[in-house]
Amino acid sequence: MTTQPVAVSVDGLTKAFGSIRALDGVSLTVGAGEIYGLLGPNGAGKTTLIRSLVGLVTADAGTVTVLGRRLPDRAVLADVGYMPQAPALYADLTVEENVRFFASVHDLDRHAGAQSAVDALEFVDLSSRRHSVVATLSGGMRQRVSLACALVHRPRLLLLDEPTVGVDPQLRAELWQRFTTMSGEGTTIIVSSHVMDEAERCGRLGLVRFGRMLAEGTSAELRRLAGVERLEDAFLVLSESSS
Amino acid sequence: MNGRRAGAISLRILQQFRHDRRTLMLLFVAPIILLGLFYFLTGGGSSLPAVDVVNLDRGPLGAVLAADLGQSTEISVTRTTPSRAAGDLSADTVAAYVVLPPDLSARALSGDVIAPTIHLEGTQPALTQPVLLALDQSVTRASRSLAATEGVRVPVLEPSLDYLHGGPGLDTLDYFGGAFIGLIVFLLVFVVTIIAFLRERSQGTLERLMASPLRRADIVVGYIGGFMVVAAVQAAEVVVFTLYALHVHNQGDVALIVLLTLLMTLVAVNLGIFLSMFATTEFQAVQFIPLAIVPQVLLSGIVFPVATEPGWLQVVSRLLPLTYGVDGLRDVMLKGNGLTSGPLLVDIAVVVAFAVALIGAATATLRRSAS
Ligand SMILES: Nc1ncnc2c1ncn2[C@@H]1O[C@H](COP(=O)(O)OP(=O)(O)O)[C@@H](O)[C@H]1O
Ligand SMILES: [Mg+2]
Repeated sequence: MTTQPVAVSVDGLTKAFGSIRALDGVSLTVGAGEIYGLLGPNGAGKTTLIRSLVGLVTADAGTVTVLGRRLPDRAVLADVGYMPQAPALYADLTVEENVRFFASVHDLDRHAGAQSAVDALEFVDLSSRRHSVVATLSGGMRQRVSLACALVHRPRLLLLDEPTVGVDPQLRAELWQRFTTMSGEGTTIIVSSHVMDEAERCGRLGLVRFGRMLAEGTSAELRRLAGVERLEDAFLVLSESSS
Repeated sequence: MNGRRAGAISLRILQQFRHDRRTLMLLFVAPIILLGLFYFLTGGGSSLPAVDVVNLDRGPLGAVLAADLGQSTEISVTRTTPSRAAGDLSADTVAAYVVLPPDLSARALSGDVIAPTIHLEGTQPALTQPVLLALDQSVTRASRSLAATEGVRVPVLEPSLDYLHGGPGLDTLDYFGGAFIGLIVFLLVFVVTIIAFLRERSQGTLERLMASPLRRADIVVGYIGGFMVVAAVQAAEVVVFTLYALHVHNQGDVALIVLLTLLMTLVAVNLGIFLSMFATTEFQAVQFIPLAIVPQVLLSGIVFPVATEPGWLQVVSRLLPLTYGVDGLRDVMLKGNGLTSGPLLVDIAVVVAFAVALIGAATATLRRSAS
């Protein structure tokens, strides 16, 4: 792990919204090709952390380095894919138009964009709906379109904020299989979740609560640390002991 | 109907108002502002149209009449020479000048009709009426005051009207057509952009764009590009319809009309992006119509000439882009001015300056919106 190049490094990141401390001195290092899971309850600060990795949140203190570039740095964003928690799409465009738009925004030319859009829609299993207007899709389908938009330009770093909410279990399993394949091909993935069975599939996990990093490690390490069988219990034990 | 259920809806609406103070403010503040504007524009404290008077009368009536015009509550009179008056009119510093002919007193004494000439600027019909009214009142008063000493009876007044631009052949549509082209295009494009951009914000795609390598200027220029394509078609349609279906009088170059219309669109697009920053919902965006658009319509000289506004409102009018767009379109269509005309160039330059300033403001706005 230590020999791997570093994809993301966050140091002492702090961000307050008024009196709410969304991030409170978070530090974290993610190696290239890792799947890193951010685990924590609602309001823990996962979304704020992910948004600061793409420069959408200006931190009060701390530094963020992405793919070797210290943020803010607009150019590095061409190599990053960001899937927001709520599917942010153009509801009046078709699935394919959305995906191709985000391809062009990430500097793909028309031809490459068209080909990548086909692949991305294949990836999320929506090829048959590519001419549907997004407004007519179900919630889970929109979530998948949003995922396709985030990875259409084959980013080296993929940031997924609760990507599988509303996606049915079978497709969820398939998606995770594909995430694993992508990671094997060198893509770094940081994914937030509050679903424990997804967490098991991550290489390494960070437990976040009240804007702080409670513990880091593989699922097995965290369970051993807490002395429990199930990851869910480990989470409870570790958040008790920290507060 | 169920009273409790309906009541729940009423209560919810009041709760929403409580959370949306801005809307509440609008409902109570906007009427005062708009009615106040109306008050000032329709007379309360407004400036009088400036009129030059040239007295060539060899008898006594001209002097008395000119003096009486100086007291008029309808117009603000300066006495001057014929050449100065003509210069003032073409420089647009007066709305009209009245020439009292040499035989004025002689005709009045012999009971003949009197025929002073009123030279009108001609592009602002609202300015003609006060001049005619003032002259009519003063003729009556002046001849009455001379009745005892000179034996003048109140003569019949038949002023002859002379128009610098336009003329009696123009109807209301001709006067307002040009101004309305600017207004309609400006209004529609503004509303469409502010809603489109607000949707970009509220549906989260703007945030996604901010997380991409796109620069803020890319987004603003992209919006301008997209809207200008549609706006160009719209401008062509509006101009063709106005000129060839409605036969609105046009003295000038059609290309200049299209140019001014497109410049107004450019201003409207960027004003929309800029103001969308100050709205969080489509509901609030629509509120910018009474707040940002209606006062502009009232103050841009479309209906109420800027020259007759109270002084401080004229300052406000001069700060609004629509004022210059409307003035430019009138310069072209009613006066037939081209690119060699100073006032038209000023109008075009000011509209371009507004567009550039708003492009900057819209881009800066995007910077602030990403927290
Ligand atoms: N833009 C914002 N303005 C105000 N508070 C915010 C904002 N974004 C996040 N917060 C607050 O920060 C805390 C962490 O939120 P978030 O990062 O979305 O948590 P999570 O994604 O883990 O559920 C929450 O209390 C949330 O209300
Ligand atoms: Mg979240």
